[in-house]
Amino acid sequence: MKRLSNNVTMSRRSLMLTGISILGSYVALSSLPSWAIPAAGSPQLAPFMRLSGLLVNHRLNPAIGARMLEVAAREHTGLDALMNALLALAESKQARKVEDFYADIPAGPQQALAQWIIFAWYTGCSSAKRDATVFTYEEALTYQTTLDVVAIPSYGLSGPNRWSQRTVPLADMPRF
Amino acid sequence: MNSNNKAEVVIVGTGVVGVLIAEQLLDAGIPVLMLEAGPRVARAEVVENFRNLPLALKGDPSSCYPPRPWAPHPMPSSENPDDHYLELSGPDKYAQTFIRYAGGSTWHWAGTCWRLTPEDMRLHSLYGVGRDWAFGYDVLEPYYTRVEHQLGICGPSDPALQWPPQRSAPYPMPALPFSPGEQRFTEVVQALGYRNIPTAQARNSGMPYDDRPACCANNNCVPVCPVGAKYDAATALARLEAKGATILTDAVVYRVDTDASNRVEAVNYFDANKVSHRITGKVFVLACNGIETPKLLLMSANSRNPHGLANSSDQVGRNMMDHPQLTMTLTLSEPYWSGVGPVVNSGIMETSQGAFRSEHAGAYFRYNNFARNRFVTFAALKKGLVGQALDEEIRRMTACTADIVLAHEVLPDAENRLTLSSKKDWLGLPRPAIHYDVGDYTRKSAESYSLPIGRKIAEAMGATDVKVSPKFAQSKHIMGGTIMGLDPANSVVDPDCRAHDHDNLYLPGGGAMPSTACGNSTISMAALGLKAADAILRQLQKA
Repeated sequence: MKRLSNNVTMSRRSLMLTGISILGSYVALSSLPSWAIPAAGSPQLAPFMRLSGLLVNHRLNPAIGARMLEVAAREHTGLDALMNALLALAESKQARKVEDFYADIPAGPQQALAQWIIFAWYTGCSSAKRDATVFTYEEALTYQTTLDVVAIPSYGLSGPNRWSQRTVPLADMPRF
Repeated sequence: MNSNNKAEVVIVGTGVVGVLIAEQLLDAGIPVLMLEAGPRVARAEVVENFRNLPLALKGDPSSCYPPRPWAPHPMPSSENPDDHYLELSGPDKYAQTFIRYAGGSTWHWAGTCWRLTPEDMRLHSLYGVGRDWAFGYDVLEPYYTRVEHQLGICGPSDPALQWPPQRSAPYPMPALPFSPGEQRFTEVVQALGYRNIPTAQARNSGMPYDDRPACCANNNCVPVCPVGAKYDAATALARLEAKGATILTDAVVYRVDTDASNRVEAVNYFDANKVSHRITGKVFVLACNGIETPKLLLMSANSRNPHGLANSSDQVGRNMMDHPQLTMTLTLSEPYWSGVGPVVNSGIMETSQGAFRSEHAGAYFRYNNFARNRFVTFAALKKGLVGQALDEEIRRMTACTADIVLAHEVLPDAENRLTLSSKKDWLGLPRPAIHYDVGDYTRKSAESYSLPIGRKIAEAMGATDVKVSPKFAQSKHIMGGTIMGLDPANSVVDPDCRAHDHDNLYLPGGGAMPSTACGNSTISMAALGLKAADAILRQLQKA
């Protein structure tokens, strides 16, 4: 069992270990009170989060998803249809994770949307440009992949002079 | 007593040099008035600015310090390409970043504090190149020690790990621990015969110091320490005010006036509403950084000083120097893990010294300890990976890539020159124009010395791919523009950083440095500031 760096992560990990699936975690999160989800009123948020959960194998914050949705709706024409098509494809493949259906996504707008959603969750931004819209910093998934070793810059990792640790194996991927 | 139009000592600039001088004077009972071109902001505001930056901008230290219209500073990521604050020309671009905020550019420095060696100060005598300092290391050493205690600089107690070991007192705090990558790098280069030693750095190590907390490895020294464990001059401003300093912000000094005897009598500044004000005083200190100080001197030309103040030698704005650097980005076969601890925490300094300096520059090698996520995430995503494969690739690239920086010295060259551009800023003041060429001395080092060593290190680290930056980048260590010397005919300031031409004008800081060596310049700038403060005290007492 790998020691993780903070209680929040432990809590998330515990949830994972109880066997809640990606889809299940979406259902659990979507039952959060409406004040916790700025765009909870949008009928697009539920399918957007469901699709996000299928494209990204991790627990995702719907409040961040709501911010992404605003940009996705602007930048991807026919967003509803694209999301429905991707969800239908995932269902037809009985997908529970991205590896189950990603290779079957047709090139074109569907693939572009799928790639954009993955990009947004990992980088926390709408694009690699300097004027990108920021959806999140702390919860950008890139930092979660190394959270057992590397600080999210500007957030602490340990106590004073307590970071002199051994090299951590690559194989011990944090659970997030 | 100060008023807002009169002071015993007027200090222009609230960066580390101005702040150190102000505190020495205040402690001696001398009233001080400080002028800062830019705003005074809270640390939390800067931290939030950083966190809200897009990933693509996280690496630009200026981006969380938006300039005020009246106090522009370089913004490399957002400036209009045809409308840069710095107008640059020459084979190499003197593309500096600095900020015009209360507290100055120590807001976003790494905190690195390498002293010069005795040899670094005698380049001409020992190697027949460059200029000697006007005094030896023995004169500067006590000031280095004072700076180390004033700023709170941590460092090793073992002389074998100190740079240089000639010291009169220990560091006030122990060295910070190495990250896994730094530890491994140290072992690898040791096998090649090089010592990677702990960086002396202005960061609280294992304990609070100077009412600031201990470093907790936030890995964000550049662009802002979120907790103030790293010294920056902004941390001292409230203390100075408690001691009686008057600090005026958003006050852009645009002209320095001299009287009939060519002593400085006043500075003039614009406020944010473009209203002009005048402040008189007995002694004046310009500590606005190595670009803004010579710019202000040139802007202050008058009938007695037609080429600018302090410029009878025609050396103001000449000899602009820095530490031209090349970066090797390595892909490694095994994980090193950067991003644990401060962003700069160790270095190989011994490669900066040697008889070869008669032929080419020395170099300092640094393992950059920035968290790598922001460098690798876009590239990992471009590979089209998803799911577990994407997670693994980001983790691998974060752990198994590294930047090794090769920082070089340069020689003073009168042709590397700051002048006043015909282009104006928001206030109608001229922008700096800078012509720059790192010179053959430095280029030869890269070709025949530093890069061959760098490639040897890369190979020993197990690099499977090595990318070298195609051009020299600047280290943002601005030096030379108000160069020190004993001869008023070829230098701007004397050994106390007092202008040869004006006996109540001091120009301390990097501009005075006659040689750069390879290590970061701030501790030497600060030491010169304290030396100037002592001279100011003597001058005022004598008066």
